Amino acid sequence: MKGSGAFRERLQEAWIELTENPGRSFLQALGVMLGVASVLGGFSLSDSQRRQAEHIFARTGGIDKLNVFPTDTIADGTPSALANANLGLRLDDAIEGGGVPSAKAVNAVAVQRRARARVRSEYGDQERDVIGIGADYVAMNGYSIDQGRVFSTSDLENGSPVAILGSQAASVFFPTGDVVGQTITIGAVPVRVIGVFHELVFRFREGQNNMFAWRNRQIWVPSSLVAGRMSGDQYHRLDRITFRVPDLHQMADFSRELSALVTSNHRLQRDFRLDDVGKRLRRQLSQGDIYNIIFMLSGVLALIGGGMVNVNIQLASLKERVREVGVKMAIGATGSEIFKAFMTEALLLTVMGSAAGYVVGIAFSWTITRAIGIPLSLAPMSFLLATAMAVVFGFLFALYPAFKASRQSPMEALRYE
Amino acid sequence: MSAPAIIETRGLIKTFGGSGNEGSAVQALRGIDLTVRRGEFVALIGPSGSGKSTLMAILGCLDTPTAGSYALDGRQVEKLAGAELAAIRNEKVGFIFQQYNLLPKATIVRNIELPMLYAGVPRRERRERALSLLAQVGIPEKAHALPGTLSGGQRQRVAIARALANRPALLLADEPTGALDSKSGREVLALFQELHTQGHTVLLVTHDPAIAALAERRVELRDGLVHVDPAIAA
Repeated sequence: MKGSGAFRERLQEAWIELTENPGRSFLQALGVMLGVASVLGGFSLSDSQRRQAEHIFARTGGIDKLNVFPTDTIADGTPSALANANLGLRLDDAIEGGGVPSAKAVNAVAVQRRARARVRSEYGDQERDVIGIGADYVAMNGYSIDQGRVFSTSDLENGSPVAILGSQAASVFFPTGDVVGQTITIGAVPVRVIGVFHELVFRFREGQNNMFAWRNRQIWVPSSLVAGRMSGDQYHRLDRITFRVPDLHQMADFSRELSALVTSNHRLQRDFRLDDVGKRLRRQLSQGDIYNIIFMLSGVLALIGGGMVNVNIQLASLKERVREVGVKMAIGATGSEIFKAFMTEALLLTVMGSAAGYVVGIAFSWTITRAIGIPLSLAPMSFLLATAMAVVFGFLFALYPAFKASRQSPMEALRYE
Repeated sequence: MSAPAIIETRGLIKTFGGSGNEGSAVQALRGIDLTVRRGEFVALIGPSGSGKSTLMAILGCLDTPTAGSYALDGRQVEKLAGAELAAIRNEKVGFIFQQYNLLPKATIVRNIELPMLYAGVPRRERRERALSLLAQVGIPEKAHALPGTLSGGQRQRVAIARALANRPALLLADEPTGALDSKSGREVLALFQELHTQGHTVLLVTHDPAIAALAERRVELRDGLVHVDPAIAA
């Protein structure tokens, strides 16, 4: 066959051949279908899971954060005098940390001091987590104000007796809904409520409990208020300092300089710990790569298995078709024409098998993501990979039977009964 | 005898087996000199084992000789191989087999189109020529039937139409009536005679003297050699 219409003619021929032998064609396409379905289904599943994980980090304020936590330096035995005399993480660390050379990459600093206190209002009297915070904390942790206002700079500097309530705390201590401007007592200190945060909701899957419920139960005050009037701590010790570094390339430099600074501030005692959120996330997500490799592998195995079946079916059917090949050669088909005819059948089978594989793979991951309640995410890359693999294997395993058919002697093929 | 030679062989030898471990080689053709001129109707006869089929395969470019020369329609073909031979078969030779050898899954018209498909004849022309050939062999109404629904005689007519598709220089028929009842056999032979009168060159292989008698010239093979050839005897 020559000319521009040759491919169309071959396709037509291949189509007749495949539809005339539906059972055989189905078996041949099955391997391709399973391979494509496995790769596509697996990839879209792990992709959906990854999207959901990225989503939760976005909701908690992003991955561009470096946390500093105080730790115990006592490894074993009794602490040294030096360790005992240490002050731990404190406000100075946060302020000086903002002054290291690479700190120009830092665009926000948040401090936090946690306390457990008895909290009382006209309507409630409970033990609650009270969080002393500094500037930048609200925006950095994904909170937003629902009623009233956030702390002003002077509130934070002077340690004003003011508080913001979480949505749940607001409804417990002030069930009437009249919250802002009311007074609650934290420990022995009466403070004025100036705002209420929006309710935070996050569920990994639909129907699951709100993972952020605990955050709605909290009460926030300026950290200077905790240090000054609640715990009487002149050093202003902290439970956490968070630096936001939007340019993640600067993170390593900053984290090294910060570590050196805090170590020297703490008389060379390693009584703190750095936590690079982005690094942690990447590590967690890289565990998903294992699943991708497994799905890829099972897809490849399905394709190899299907490919072997194809080779066998093709070789078996070649026996039936020897005479037909002989006739075609006798009336002028070249070996390469026979080869192309067989490869066109393989192409058609691969295309049909892949199409069926898309449907099955998407149905598979749709069902699973529905069952565990996360949104389905289909990346174009998964389609590309699945199709590329199907084409490679579909062709690879078609080569041998096609080659064998093309090398037949027309004489012997015609004599074949 | 001024018509140009369609077939011209000199000292054609074909040996099977040989140097391998199967013992002595079998010499199927032992030096065939044969000339067939344009427009002749030649019957090739001989007992089984005389080398008819082997000669037929070489003349039809399905096989190549071990030694000797063969010119088909003026072209030396004994040294050709693979794709070149396929092209010669496609353009110069029209095969008609005892078992028809139609493709069972393709319609009649597509069967006839097939040689033209390999030759790259445009779609429309292909279809027109196939339909007119089908009318020429007398069964225009069967264009879209499948071979399985036709009688033996009709199938052989389709095979003849297919053989004529690329206007070949030579029609090679191998026992074309061997599988037919006597009535359809006579009809098919009549068709061959008609093609001969139209100027086609026909080489017909048979073991039936009655059929051979229809040809204007009978070449008899025996033991791989030309035993009787009136063209030489004359």
